[in-house]
Amino acid sequence: MAEKKLHIRNVAKSFSGRTVVDVADLTLGTHGIEGLIGPNGAGKTTLMNLIIHRLKMDHGQVIYFPNGKELDISNKRTDEIARLGIVKTNQVIQDFESLSIRDSLLLSLSTTKYEQFYKIFSENKLRKEAKGEIDTYLDYFRFENPGGHALSAGEKKLLDIIRCLVLKPKYLLMDEPTAGLSEEQTVKVIELMKRKTEEEDMSILVVEHDLDLIWNVSELVYFMAEGEILLQGTPEEIRKDRTVAVKYMGVSHV
Amino acid sequence: MAQFLSGYAMYSFSSIVVFIGLATLLHLQFGVTGMVNFGVVGFFGLGMYSFGVFLIQYQIPYVISMLLATGLTGVVALGLGKIILDLDSQSILVATLAIATVVEDLATTEKWLTKGVIGLGTVPFPFNLGPYSQAAYFLLSLVLTVLIVLYASKLESAPYGRLLMSIRDNEPLAQSLGKSTSRQKLYFFAITSSLMGLFGTLHASNVHFLVPRMLGPGVTFTVWIALILGGRKRILGGLVGTLATIGLFDFVIETFVPIPASAQSQLMPVIKLWIYGLALMLILMYRPSGILGEKK
Repeated sequence: MAEKKLHIRNVAKSFSGRTVVDVADLTLGTHGIEGLIGPNGAGKTTLMNLIIHRLKMDHGQVIYFPNGKELDISNKRTDEIARLGIVKTNQVIQDFESLSIRDSLLLSLSTTKYEQFYKIFSENKLRKEAKGEIDTYLDYFRFENPGGHALSAGEKKLLDIIRCLVLKPKYLLMDEPTAGLSEEQTVKVIELMKRKTEEEDMSILVVEHDLDLIWNVSELVYFMAEGEILLQGTPEEIRKDRTVAVKYMGVSHV
Repeated sequence: MAQFLSGYAMYSFSSIVVFIGLATLLHLQFGVTGMVNFGVVGFFGLGMYSFGVFLIQYQIPYVISMLLATGLTGVVALGLGKIILDLDSQSILVATLAIATVVEDLATTEKWLTKGVIGLGTVPFPFNLGPYSQAAYFLLSLVLTVLIVLYASKLESAPYGRLLMSIRDNEPLAQSLGKSTSRQKLYFFAITSSLMGLFGTLHASNVHFLVPRMLGPGVTFTVWIALILGGRKRILGGLVGTLATIGLFDFVIETFVPIPASAQSQLMPVIKLWIYGLALMLILMYRPSGILGEKK
């Protein structure tokens, strides 16, 4: 068991009167990889978006524990939260239309040290500094055209994940990371998730509908329905649970 | 030769170069970063008029007036940008258009400061080289414009340029990667807008006499048409577009095509706008990324 990464207190979000997320007390990140499952509309993506402040919560608190310190991030902007080490991969494909794969990763690896309007001669330095890391990822995931743009939906999804990984986050939220990926790429992503959480100070919260993946990678699983975290436990416990069977698998997992 | 160097051609070249500078700055704001500045003439005019006021009404030395005017334009852009830059494109368009109208109105109504429609003058050249003053001034404007174009070309393959393009392409995604996009947009908008003001100060010496009529939205439209025509995402888009519009009309046609004097002042401006509009429509229909096209 690792130190906890996040503590969510009394966080709620409603859209036009309908409560989508209402989490009273939740501790996240005590394991390398934790899974978050639940039926469609349970509020999983919304919860993640509240954590990174992509959405503004109605009330509540998100406390972050980087290196044992305690930091209230409830009112921080998404970009500040990302710089503190919490990032999220996207369920729906997100990309920069005009950036090639390498440019996209250079963007991610670049910092404000390079991003000043008068620093227009710093490209070579950044490229040199980033080359090793980018090449490692490009060698690992074989892109069809690594020198150009991400071509397929799957490649864009992979690129989205790599962009987050090169930021070396302390806490990574993954929203259906393998939806749309080939079998081979899925295996590679899973292997990478496991390796990163074992070797580095990184914890992952993963949302997936592919339950085999959840049972396979997660050390702890949260079950969410109607905006609330109803259960948490080891994959075995959650798998056998009646509530989960009725509310989730009974319907979608024939 | 001396006549050529001091004559209409040099005046015309200086104007063209100033407009290339403006169009290239708009390329940086809109083509690279996606900020819809429809108030180009506001910043250009603020620079031009505040320079004239500092220089003539307050007798502040030339270069200092220039720097003050550029700085003032930057500060106004910073204040405006702080309010509007995180809004959607339409709102930014309307707000920048509005600030340009405010500048034009103030230049007209604040007679104590600007002398209103009577006009503010005479703005001299910063140096007196006799018949070569106009040519030297052209070279000064040219150097500044070349610097801006070089900056734009260097920016394209720099981490900062990549950041600006990521804001244009997908700002929320850039934010989620830790980029403070609001601040970056704001600073870049203020800097590029203040440079529009600097070009305004250059233009003031070129035209010698400032009247509010110069601050009409026509300037903004001309710069936009030039950029769209040339290619908004291309470094040389502003240059090519300006040459194809103002260069062609205000210099080539006016100099070499024999137009009867009666048509010169009445008909030509109308025909010019008519052809600009037509060219814009054709470009948008058949070559939406401009004459220079997409980057390969």
